Amino acid sequence: MRQEVAVQEHAAEALHVAGAEGELTMEELPEWISDHIGDGGYIEFAGGHWDLAALAFDPIRLGPVVIDLSPTRQFVVMLLVAVLLALVFVPVARTIRKRGIERAPGGFAGAMEAVILYFRDEVVRPNIGHGADGFTPFILTIFFFVLGMNVIGLTPLGITPTANLSVTAALAVISFVVTEISGFRALGPAGYARTIFFLPAGLPLFMRPIMLAILAPVEFLGKLAKPFALAVRLLANMTAGHLLILSLIGMIFIVRTYLMGAASVTMASGLMVFELFVAFLQAYIFAMLTAVFIGLIRHAH
Amino acid sequence: MFDINLGLTIWTTFVFLALLGILWKFAWGPVLRAVEAREARIQGALDQAASEREAAERLLAEHRVQMADARRQAQQLVAEGREAGDRLRQEIEERARTEGRVLIERARETIEREREAAVETLRRESVELALAAAARLMRERLDEAADRELVIGYLDEVAGPDGDIQA
Repeated sequence: MRQEVAVQEHAAEALHVAGAEGELTMEELPEWISDHIGDGGYIEFAGGHWDLAALAFDPIRLGPVVIDLSPTRQFVVMLLVAVLLALVFVPVARTIRKRGIERAPGGFAGAMEAVILYFRDEVVRPNIGHGADGFTPFILTIFFFVLGMNVIGLTPLGITPTANLSVTAALAVISFVVTEISGFRALGPAGYARTIFFLPAGLPLFMRPIMLAILAPVEFLGKLAKPFALAVRLLANMTAGHLLILSLIGMIFIVRTYLMGAASVTMASGLMVFELFVAFLQAYIFAMLTAVFIGLIRHAH
Repeated sequence: MFDINLGLTIWTTFVFLALLGILWKFAWGPVLRAVEAREARIQGALDQAASEREAAERLLAEHRVQMADARRQAQQLVAEGREAGDRLRQEIEERARTEGRVLIERARETIEREREAAVETLRRESVELALAAAARLMRERLDEAADRELVIGYLDEVAGPDGDIQA
């Protein structure tokens, strides 16, 4: 008897995701959508429900800052993407290396090699210039990591780590840090300082402090605007499509007619194709803009 | 959705750096090195092919020059040979003609000489014969002057008006 109740409770909990007993009101829609797009301490997939609370850590408190390292579902999916990428590309590398210089590339490894070479020859080298080849692995990792996280959100798993500002901000900060460090190494301390404290040549002496006071904050904000734009662009693109698709799916459970179902599924399928394109495009843009920023700061003399 | 979960940010950074390290060492690095090695090999093959083609073209041009040279030399040789042959033929003909003329001349002289000798001999023989006949006559009828006259007259008849023997 108790077991039966537990099963019923569980079923009800599972159903809650699609509205109680398969019903959803207009008022519940925003919360339902944010449940699906947002992060959480549990994973629901194919009728199953896995609670991650058992792996939770106590939050670390550093004054006002709270760091909660408990694994969330977006973190789990991110980890899954990373593992999948390693499982795909390490064998690809082995195949290519084994084929060596004697035999022509082919198959899946050849296709991946073409993508890798495209990034090296069309993204990294033209944007970064001399010394570009050292950045190729970094740009490639950004591209495939972001791509994996974008695409895995389109699978029935439906969890998109890149639809979370915490994730995109971390990626943007990494991009920013790499950009600034490479700029510092390419330009030296004085040259790097000039990317913030810039004075046009031939300026009268009394104008210099004024110019510095105006331009330095502008230059500094300009530096910060780039990673901010990176983070928000990826977040917004990945969130917007999911919002639309989930709204269309949600309409099925609000209106509850076959016509609505057919219309919603048709439109959602079309949007899904578009989403797939956006997933690739945004991953490419993130990687390419990172290369562009690195190239810009390294040639800022 | 839009509030920052610092824990997730830290995890993202950690996962990214770990993935970067793993892929750099085991995927991107080996792939890029293999591709660069292949590019170098292809470039080397292309360079080699270009230099070999250049060498072949140079060789071909050389051969063409040599062929033209050889043909000119052959033509020159043929022309020289023909000229030398002509000259030789003319010389030989000239010499043969000259020698022929000399031989004919000599033969004619010899014939002339032989004929004169023969005529002389004949004349002498005739006189001897006549004299022998005369001596024989004279022994028998030495005083018959009329007979002697007859013999001389006969001899003159035989010798002809200019002393030659008539055939």
